[in-house]
Amino acid sequence: MAETVVGGVRLHYQRLGVEGAPLRAVFVHGLVMDNLSSWYFTVANALAAFADVVLYDLRGHGLSERPAQGYREAEMVGDLCGVLDATVGDAPVVLVGNSYGAFLSVRFALRHPDRVAGLVLVDGHLGDSDFGERMAATLSLQGDEADNAIAASFQNWLGRHSARKRTKLGDMARALVNDTTLVRDLRATPPLTAADFERITAPALALYGESSDLLSRSLPVVARMPHCTVRVLPGCTHSILWEATNEVKTRIVDFCREVQP
Amino acid sequence: MNENNLSTISNDAVVLADLGTMIREVIGEEWAEDVPIEMETSFAKDLELESIEFVALAERLKEKFGKGVDFAGWLGSMELEQILQLRVGQLVEFIVRCNSASPTA
Repeated sequence: MAETVVGGVRLHYQRLGVEGAPLRAVFVHGLVMDNLSSWYFTVANALAAFADVVLYDLRGHGLSERPAQGYREAEMVGDLCGVLDATVGDAPVVLVGNSYGAFLSVRFALRHPDRVAGLVLVDGHLGDSDFGERMAATLSLQGDEADNAIAASFQNWLGRHSARKRTKLGDMARALVNDTTLVRDLRATPPLTAADFERITAPALALYGESSDLLSRSLPVVARMPHCTVRVLPGCTHSILWEATNEVKTRIVDFCREVQP
Repeated sequence: MNENNLSTISNDAVVLADLGTMIREVIGEEWAEDVPIEMETSFAKDLELESIEFVALAERLKEKFGKGVDFAGWLGSMELEQILQLRVGQLVEFIVRCNSASPTA
């Protein structure tokens, strides 16, 4: 299995497509009930037809190690740096992030502007001044209430169909929430500000669901990016990757072709 | 039954056995040791394979069969609903087809 160790934590990644292609795309998934397979089964393979594609599991997710701590912004951005170092090197990449993955991608772009050729932000947690607190509150619920909130917030393709009430994915999610500092670290994560977005010079594409509860707060800040295209997908909620998979895929492929060197 | 048919049956059976081992390794739990894995077995319904386990299986297939069996690309050509309906036999047939098309097979 393809793995790299970053700061002592073993991270699982997948590399698809054309190694060494001028366009490099890196996919970043969302929190808790998510892992790299969401991107793998929706968009990544379409980009792999012409790009060098990397997907990785965030620490505590998928097949990556779940350390007891280290879920603050600095470590999470550091993990992404380490995965890039182990795969495409320091050449600029298009970062494609979903939900929290979009937040993380913006954080990475602020810290490492020279390593970012483009940003795709899919229903990202970008405009919430209390982002960390809200995420933490959802994840801090207990019992059935927690299961319901997690199921509503974090969809997974097989999770929608499984007959089992307790899935492995659900068990892993509970362990991540209960046995690590994730919730505490999210509470301590500072929100992005409008001024942060003004500093992002890379071309960007922001996709939001029309009924996403993140839409009204995020639109004003993503509009501050000098080169950002915003698309609102009708009839969709926060889970646009599942609700409008083909449109999300087409828009990301088109964007990547445009920014391709 | 002619020789050609015999060879096809043998290929399917060999690939099915290899695939069964890989699937059990990917699931990595005791119950999977005894569960029957046959051509009609459904990945989602019968084996309840999670999506990340599919990814791990794709990687094992690449290690075992080389780039000639592009499982990731094959999955990429399907709609999600088709992947959810996927049976083990469809993957066996795909692998056999790739192998017979490859000059090294």
